[in-house]
Amino acid sequence: MLDLSNATTRRAKRGLQREWRLHALSVFSLSVAFVCLAASLLVVTNLQAVEERWAHAGRASIYLRDDATSADVAQLREALGKVPGVTKVKYVSSGQAREQFAKDDDPNGTLAALPAEAFPASIELEVRSDVTDDALTDMVTKLQRLPAVDDVETYQAWTTRLARLVRGGVAASAVLAVVVLLSVLAVVGSTMRFALQRRRGEVEVLRLVGATDRFVKAPFLIEGSLQGALGAAFAVVLLGFLFVLVRGRLDGDLALLIGVEPSFLPWQFVLGMVALGGVLGATAAALGLRRLVTV
Amino acid sequence: MLRAGARFGREAAQRPILLFEDVYKSYRPGAPVLRGMNLVIERGEFVFFTGSSGAGKSTLLRLLYRAETVDEGRILFMGRDVARLTPDSVPFLRRNIGCVFQDFKLVHSWSVYENVAITLEVLGLPQRLVRARVGEALDRVGLSGRGGDPAGVLSGGEQQRIAVARAIVGEPALLLADEPTGNLDPQLAIDILGLFEEIHEAGTTVIFATHDRSLLEIQPRRVVVLDNGKAIDVRSGISSPGQTDFDNELPV
Repeated sequence: MLDLSNATTRRAKRGLQREWRLHALSVFSLSVAFVCLAASLLVVTNLQAVEERWAHAGRASIYLRDDATSADVAQLREALGKVPGVTKVKYVSSGQAREQFAKDDDPNGTLAALPAEAFPASIELEVRSDVTDDALTDMVTKLQRLPAVDDVETYQAWTTRLARLVRGGVAASAVLAVVVLLSVLAVVGSTMRFALQRRRGEVEVLRLVGATDRFVKAPFLIEGSLQGALGAAFAVVLLGFLFVLVRGRLDGDLALLIGVEPSFLPWQFVLGMVALGGVLGATAAALGLRRLVTV
Repeated sequence: MLRAGARFGREAAQRPILLFEDVYKSYRPGAPVLRGMNLVIERGEFVFFTGSSGAGKSTLLRLLYRAETVDEGRILFMGRDVARLTPDSVPFLRRNIGCVFQDFKLVHSWSVYENVAITLEVLGLPQRLVRARVGEALDRVGLSGRGGDPAGVLSGGEQQRIAVARAIVGEPALLLADEPTGNLDPQLAIDILGLFEEIHEAGTTVIFATHDRSLLEIQPRRVVVLDNGKAIDVRSGISSPGQTDFDNELPV
């Protein structure tokens, strides 16, 4: 157990004050490592949000053939309105599609010369979020057999790609977590061994007056733990600052593109990372101090 | 297990505080520093250890506070074999032994108070008690009111007084001094010796290792000469009739 008496905390405080340059350098190095991990987690978190958004989009676009008659469309709309789970059926004519595109994506009219076929008429469906992927696929298969239907888009391919991206992001985060672990062990361990060398006289005195191993090591463990926690905290602050900076410039465009507002790491992640930094720092210090000065 | 402040029974109190039995110690094969040394030191004694450089004075003290272990034989401190203590018990042995060294062994960046208080802080005593006892110890060594000064800026004599205060503040059963006056001028050396005399008067057993013969002549005390790896027990005090001729026993 860690000895947290007044003498221990005072010695740790004094050690931090005396070796502040060494500790600051160590915290900076750890921050760099933790920024990589936090950035990776940030990307994964937001990708997951996008995946979640699109996985439960509850939307499908049924593109109609150019030769589909008004009667075909009316019949199809009526049939779709009766399908369980479908909450809204909206017909978008070719002209409305062109109008919508010009308004949203081509305000300068640079693509005004595109042929009419470029904007096929469609029926936009909204389905309940509890409709499963299998049920939606089944409905799409049936719809594609209808003569008036040219193609059906359910955005499932998009969400599948996103899911792959998220899995890749999680794997990258795991690798980065290992890199962070190794960096913390190396940086804090070296710092502690160096601090121990500089405070060899102090350790010798402690041994002479009958201090136990626990008493001798405790301030070094506190210092290591603080280094790890501060490294992680600075990384989060730095990443938060960059996040606010980037979001301020891209917020609207990004939200339009991915369909969700980008968000920062949840507070549980932030706290968890700082705690992880503290635990890793203390562990690294303990490993670095395995061979103490003996008298 | 030895513990600071432990109460010892009547039987333990009657034992000698230190018993050396046939102690051998060498650092190089064929060149033993101690060879079959036997010695008994009773509670409350003041004993000078002397001998030429390399005679084994420091080795003997290091064996006592378990910085080294004997090759053969045994050293009993309050009836316990020092060499057989487990590593976890060594700190508790040291809490019963105060040590003073020639190079003071102070932490210069700490204050005078902190250097002395650490002896009590390792015991986990409450700060209020630590403050009171450190104040008393500093008073005893003549450093009253200097607690807040950084230890590194004090003179050699004052630094040695801090080391003495650190050694006695825990009220150890035994006080070891390894050439404590080696870095001090003759007058300061006599002052420091006087301090050890006062501590001894209060009941502490003192072992004072020195090669400074002038200190041995100040007051009649038991003197143990280390020569050729053995202890020769003599009496000091040139004017003490009936005792071993000190000048003949001491190696020159």
